[in-house]
Amino acid sequence: MTTTTVTELARPSRPTSRIGSVVRLHLVNKASIIGTPLIILGFILLVNVAIWAIIAASVTDASDLADAQEGLQWSGASFYLFIYMMVLGILGVSATFPLALGFSVTRRDFYLGTAATWVLLSVFFGAVFTLLAVVETATGGWGLGGRMFTAVYFGDGVWYQRFLLFTAAFLFFFFFGTVIAAIYSRWRVTGTLVFFGILTVLLVALAFLATVTRSWPEVGNWFVVNGAPGLVAWSLVPTVISAVAGYAVLRRATPRG
Amino acid sequence: MDESRPIFLQIAELIENDIIAGGLAEEEQVPSTNEFAAFHRINPATAGKGVNLLVDDGVLYKKRGIGMFVASGARERLLHKRRDEFRTEFVQPLISEAAKLGLSRSQLIAMIRDDENSIRKDDRA
Amino acid sequence: MTAAVEVSGLTKRFGSTTAVNEATFTVEENTIHGLLGRNGAGKTTLMQLITGQDFATSGSIRIFGEHPVENSGVLRRVCFIKESQKYPDDFKPKHVFESAPWFFENWDAELAARLIEDFRLPVNRRIKKLSRGQTSAVGVIVGLASRAPLTFFDEPYLGLDAVARQIFYDRLLEDYAEHPRTIILSTHLIDEVSSLLEHVIVIDDGRIIIDQDSDSLRGSATTVVGTGTAVESFIAGHEVLHLDRIGGLASATIGQLTPAERAAATTAGLELTPVSLQQLIVRRTGLATELEKSA
Repeated sequence: MTTTTVTELARPSRPTSRIGSVVRLHLVNKASIIGTPLIILGFILLVNVAIWAIIAASVTDASDLADAQEGLQWSGASFYLFIYMMVLGILGVSATFPLALGFSVTRRDFYLGTAATWVLLSVFFGAVFTLLAVVETATGGWGLGGRMFTAVYFGDGVWYQRFLLFTAAFLFFFFFGTVIAAIYSRWRVTGTLVFFGILTVLLVALAFLATVTRSWPEVGNWFVVNGAPGLVAWSLVPTVISAVAGYAVLRRATPRG
Repeated sequence: MDESRPIFLQIAELIENDIIAGGLAEEEQVPSTNEFAAFHRINPATAGKGVNLLVDDGVLYKKRGIGMFVASGARERLLHKRRDEFRTEFVQPLISEAAKLGLSRSQLIAMIRDDENSIRKDDRA
Repeated sequence: MTAAVEVSGLTKRFGSTTAVNEATFTVEENTIHGLLGRNGAGKTTLMQLITGQDFATSGSIRIFGEHPVENSGVLRRVCFIKESQKYPDDFKPKHVFESAPWFFENWDAELAARLIEDFRLPVNRRIKKLSRGQTSAVGVIVGLASRAPLTFFDEPYLGLDAVARQIFYDRLLEDYAEHPRTIILSTHLIDEVSSLLEHVIVIDDGRIIIDQDSDSLRGSATTVVGTGTAVESFIAGHEVLHLDRIGGLASATIGQLTPAERAAATTAGLELTPVSLQQLIVRRTGLATELEKSA
């Protein structure tokens, strides 16, 4: 390894620009990585606004309406976007990895560039969600008491807490998608099935443990105690594990025809 | 190009033929290696090898920075060489084959004359 | 002379199959090499190994003197155009040509534009929806316009018609003459490309069986045709690449003959015919049918 420093000095090597090129490669088709999710988001919002309008129009009794709007805070409408980001994470790695290697990029540079892209996109969509949450609050739920970006899962913190929560959530889904894609790139369908098998067994085992030890209340309590800031911090654990595992798997992967 | 013989030899022969036929005059510049390569759709290195063969034989000479030129006296030397080759490759086999078939020397010469006359007749027609 | 590629004792196993078996060879800089062999002979695996896309089981690889795997400094001088190259589903050719210059510092946009016109490539259609030949054209254009010091073309012409293939060969020669670089062309259409090649490496069943100048290979074999007994007595003591019989006649492909041997053959009433590069390789790789079918 001592010789590498000599050759690196001798040749102008620009590893940072290589990583930057990978970021640009991910973003070259802006339509599908930024355009499509924004359109989907707009569409979901529109459908929800329509539903809220129907509820508001059909429920005339004031206390019933309050009840209905109480229920709206459990909206999972925006979850679709998180799943879309996971899919982007999967495709971004599984489909772009062979092309990047075809462009003579090292796995390391590809992975760093990809991770940088996910951070950028998470911050971007985190900001979009935060902005919409602010608007939602300011307009009293789009004038209809609707809740999409201020749904109960996102807590009730101030705007920057929301921003951190959204961004952290996006990061998790991106990197979870990345692990799946890395496993697929290296071990194909069999590996992916084994991975999901193990993951399922693990989650079921944890649930079983919680049930046997009668600790579900503690689990619920844990979420309450930690609150949104705690969840952001804790979500970084699986995100970082995913990111590290993704690289460990991908650095020995080979693009196959 | 004939796929069964070294291409650089064929390139050298093509240039020689051109010089003999007068297409390339003495002291005239010959096309560059790359032009030969593009024209015959061959590897430039192979074309270069053919050209260099002629430089070694003194048929072509190099002017630094300008290109390759036909050496003076090249045509005469090539004709001489080709005539020698004609003798070993055509005349000698002709004579031995004629002997095998029991043709006498005068019969062989008569045959050549007849064929020559018929070719001339064809030319006139 | 410096070597663009140096491979020594290279072996790659997938489970119980050996895709590349103890391969050793050197590719000089600024040459056009042919990597020839039947489908499944190990050509693609060999190139995947050299470009750091796959990992060797044993042996060593150096490109421009350095180990290629995960070596950004040396890989950026390499372009590998694979027949099976995958592109993201939503990619159009324009996305490929837009992003390629970020990775290949010698990229020539003008050349790329000219080639797009030559191949009549629709740049705004999804690659998924392009024909086999148009997809090949995308790779060919990247391979030529990238002007990488070491460029690999792995069966780059699949689906391209004769006209488009000729365009590829012509542009390759033209650009190579102006911008010398090391090109390794893997193909089984030997007759079409043999005149482009300076050097030929033939791989068969994972082993390098020929590593020779194409010109010295040309004419290195002869076919002897005549009566069975005459052919048999003549070929005794020669390496016989191929022997065919029909009735009382026999046809044998053997190695190079000295002028004296040629004279002896003629005297013995045998007919000598030259063997083309493709025929020679077909004979050497033992199995004629597939290559001849695809030619």
